[in-house]
Amino acid sequence: MRRLQGWLPLLLMSTLIVALGVYTSLREDAFLTSYNLNNLLLATMPLALVSLGQATALLVGGFDVSVAALMTFCVVLASYTLTPTTSGWGYLPGSLALLGVGLATGVFNAILIRVLRLPSIIATLGTLSILQGASLWLRDHPEGSINSDVISGLTKSVGFVPIAFVAVCVLGVAADLWLYRSRTGLALRAVGLDETSSRRLGMHTGVAVILAFVVCSLMASIAGFYLAAEVQIGSPIIGNYGLESIAAAVLGGASLAGGRGSYVGTLLAALFLTLIDNVLPLFQQPTEYSEITIGLLILLALVLYKSPELVSRLRTSWGGVGRLRTGGGEASAG
Amino acid sequence: MSTPGLANPSVLALRDVSKAFGAVRALREVSIDCRAGEIHALVGENGSGKSTLLGIASGFLAPDHGTVEIAGRQRRRVSPAETRRLGLGIAYQTYSHVLDLSVAENLYLGAPPELRPRYGRIEAWAAETLGAFDLEIPLLPSTRALSLVQRQLLEVVKALLAQPKVLLLDEPTTALGPDDVERLHALVLEQSRAGVGIVYVSHRLPEVLGIADRVSVLRDGVCQGTFDGASMSEESLVALMIGRPLQLAFPERQGQAAQREVRLAVSGLHGERFGPVDLEVAKGEILGLAGAEGNGQVQFLRALAGVERSAGTATCDGRALDSGSPLGALRAGVVLLSGDRSGESLFPVLSVRVNTTIQVLRRLARFGLLRRGRERKTVDDLAGRLRIRMASMEQPVQSLSGGNQQKVSLTRPFLRGDVKVLLAEEPTQGVDVAARFDIYDALREKANDGVATIVKSSDPLELAGLCDRVVVMSRGRIVDEIQGAELGERRIVEAIVGSGLGRARRATEGEAAPA
Repeated sequence: MRRLQGWLPLLLMSTLIVALGVYTSLREDAFLTSYNLNNLLLATMPLALVSLGQATALLVGGFDVSVAALMTFCVVLASYTLTPTTSGWGYLPGSLALLGVGLATGVFNAILIRVLRLPSIIATLGTLSILQGASLWLRDHPEGSINSDVISGLTKSVGFVPIAFVAVCVLGVAADLWLYRSRTGLALRAVGLDETSSRRLGMHTGVAVILAFVVCSLMASIAGFYLAAEVQIGSPIIGNYGLESIAAAVLGGASLAGGRGSYVGTLLAALFLTLIDNVLPLFQQPTEYSEITIGLLILLALVLYKSPELVSRLRTSWGGVGRLRTGGGEASAG
Repeated sequence: MSTPGLANPSVLALRDVSKAFGAVRALREVSIDCRAGEIHALVGENGSGKSTLLGIASGFLAPDHGTVEIAGRQRRRVSPAETRRLGLGIAYQTYSHVLDLSVAENLYLGAPPELRPRYGRIEAWAAETLGAFDLEIPLLPSTRALSLVQRQLLEVVKALLAQPKVLLLDEPTTALGPDDVERLHALVLEQSRAGVGIVYVSHRLPEVLGIADRVSVLRDGVCQGTFDGASMSEESLVALMIGRPLQLAFPERQGQAAQREVRLAVSGLHGERFGPVDLEVAKGEILGLAGAEGNGQVQFLRALAGVERSAGTATCDGRALDSGSPLGALRAGVVLLSGDRSGESLFPVLSVRVNTTIQVLRRLARFGLLRRGRERKTVDDLAGRLRIRMASMEQPVQSLSGGNQQKVSLTRPFLRGDVKVLLAEEPTQGVDVAARFDIYDALREKANDGVATIVKSSDPLELAGLCDRVVVMSRGRIVDEIQGAELGERRIVEAIVGSGLGRARRATEGEAAPA
C-alpha cells in the first residue's frame, strides 16, 4: 500500500500526459510535429527546473514563494550581463552573476527561516517583494536583448529533444535515487517528517533546512536562464512560477507537511502543466479554460493521492461510531 | 551483588548543572556521576527535573551553568550528535522515532556512521540487528504501526546500537507490562555486566529498587543525595521525594451530602492510551486524578471532553455523552480546562475581556451586536469574584501572570450557567502560591454549585488538600482509590510509585477473569 502510494503520482502524471497527448494528436495534426514538441519541451524547462528546487524546499517542510521573482530578476540581470555584445570568456562572469544572485537569495532566505525562525511562506514573500522591486528598478519596462548565442546554446536540440531537457531528466532520476536510496536522502526526509526525532537521532537538522533553501534558489536562478531564453529580453514581468512550482511539486507527490515527494514526479507534473498550456491554443480555447482545467486537475490529483488515507480514516471513524453505538453491550460483557 | 566499585571510571559526570525555563528553576546545581558497570537510578516526582537533567546530559538542552563529562572527556558542544560520538546513548521517554519511516530506516538513522550498512542492505541488516536483541519487534514498513510496547523497546535498541559507554533510560517501562519489564531489565543487567554505565530514570520505586546499585533523588530541581540502592526502602525514598515545607489553606470540604447523586458515570471507557476505565463522580464532588506523567490521565480527561477518540460509555445525568466532538461535550455541559492554557484555552494576544466572554457572546448581544456595557460589567464582576489581578480588562491575556491567566480561563465555566462537569487539567501548573489559593477556592465554589469536578494534577499535595477522593492511574487504568482519612500526600505518592508491577498485574487478571 505504501509502495503504491509512492508510485501513484508518477503513474497518474504519466497517464495524464499520454492521454492528453494521444487525444490532442488525434484531433490536431499540428501537435505531433517536431517543431511543436521541441517548443513544448523548451517551454517546460523553466517550470521543470524551478519545481525541482521547490520540491526540495517542500521536503523539509518549507515553501519558497520568492522563486518567481528571483527568476525574473535573473532575466533582467541577464539583459545586463549577457548582452548581445558579450562573447568568449565574457559569458562566464555574466552567468556566474545569475548563479551568484541565486546563491545569495538562498542564503538570505535560509537565514530568515532558520536563524530568525520566520515562517518560510512569509519570509519568502518578503524576498519576493524585494526582488520584484529590484527588477523594476533595473528595468521599468521590457528592454535590453539577451545574447542570442547564449540562447541558442541553452536551447540546442538533437532532433526535437533539447539537450537540456535530457539533462534535467537525468538530474531528476539521480535526485530520486539519492532521495530514496541513500543515507543523506533518508536523513533529509526524516528531517521533513519529524524534526524533533531527527535532532534526537543526532542529525544536523539546521544544515538540512538551510541547504534545501539554497538548492531551491539556485535551481530558480538556473530556471532564470531558460526563462531568459524564452522571453529573450530584459522583461521585469513576473510569471506565475511561484504557485505553479508548488503545484508541480505537490502533483509530483510532495506533501506540504514535508518529508515526502519525488523529483521525477515533479518533472512529469511540470511537463503536464506545460502541456495543458500548450494544447489549449491548438483547440482554439481561451486561456481561462486552461487555468480552470489546471485548477480542477490539481484538486482531483490531490484527492486521489489522499484517497488511501481518506478511506482508512472513513473506515476508522465509521468503525469508531459503530463501536460507540454498541459500546454499552461491549462494556457490560467485558 | 554489591555496588560495582566506585573505583570504576566515571562514564557520565554532571557537575553543578543549573537550568531555568523562564522564571521556573528546573535544576539547581545538580551533580550526578555514573560509573562504568553501574545502574544508577534517578527518582523524583513529576516536575522534579529528571527529564531536564537527561535532556542536558544528552545534548538536547543547553545548561545555564555546569559541565557535562562523558567517558572522562569534557563535552565541548551541546549537540546530540557530539554527545553520541563521545559514547552516550539515550532512550527518550517520548521516543525518537520518525513514525512515517520504516522500522529498518529508523534503526539505520539511529546507528552510528561506522555501523551503517550499505543502503541497499538495510532490511537484512535491521533483521540481524534486531535478532540479536530477541525483543520481537517486527520490521514493519511504517513505525507508526508498532504497538506502544514495541516502540518503547525499539527506542532502547536504538540507544544501544552505538554500543554506548553510558546509557540513559528515561521512564523506559511506561508502556510495558510485567513480562516486558522483566525482559528489559534482563537486557539492562546484561549491559551493565558488560561495563556500560546506566542511568535509569523511573518513578516506579519497586522496579528501581529491584535493579539499581545507587539511587539519586531529585526534588524541585535539587539533588537530595545519592544513596546505596541496597540501603534504601520505598518508604525512605518517598520521604526524600516529598515533603515540601509549603502549607496551603485549602478551601473547606462540603460535608457529604445526604444522598450521593451521581452526575458523571463512566463505564468501560477506553482509548488508545487508557482504559477500560469505570468511574463515578457525584454532584458537588471534586475527584483527583493522580499518577505519573504519561499513564493515560490526560487522554482519559480529553476523551471525556470529546477531544480524543474513545469507546465505551460515559453519561452525564443519565444522558450519554457524544464522545466524538468537543462541541457535543460542551452542549452536554462538560467543560475542559486545558493544561495548555496559551495553546488551547486562551487567545494570548486578545484582551482579558474578549477571553472571558468569547463563549457566551450571544447572551451579551442584542440584535447581533455586542452590548459593551453589559459585557464590561460581567467581566468586572467575575474578575472581582475570582480575584484576577490586572491593570485593565483590555490588557492582553499573555501579559498576565500564569495564575491570573488560569483565572481568566476559569471565568468561562462561571459564565456558562449550564456546566455540569468540569475537567481541570493541571489547574495550578505555573501558578504562583497566592493565585493557587484563589483557584482552589473557585473550583470548590463551582463544586458547591453542584458541578462534578475532576482535577488531574501531578502535585500530590494539591490533590490531598483539594479533593474529596483521589484515584490513581497507571498504564491507563485506575489502580487505586484513596478517600476519607486515608487521603494524604504520602499515601498518594506511595500509590503512584508503588503502582508498578503488582497492581498492574492484578488489574490485568481482574479484567481477564470474567471474559
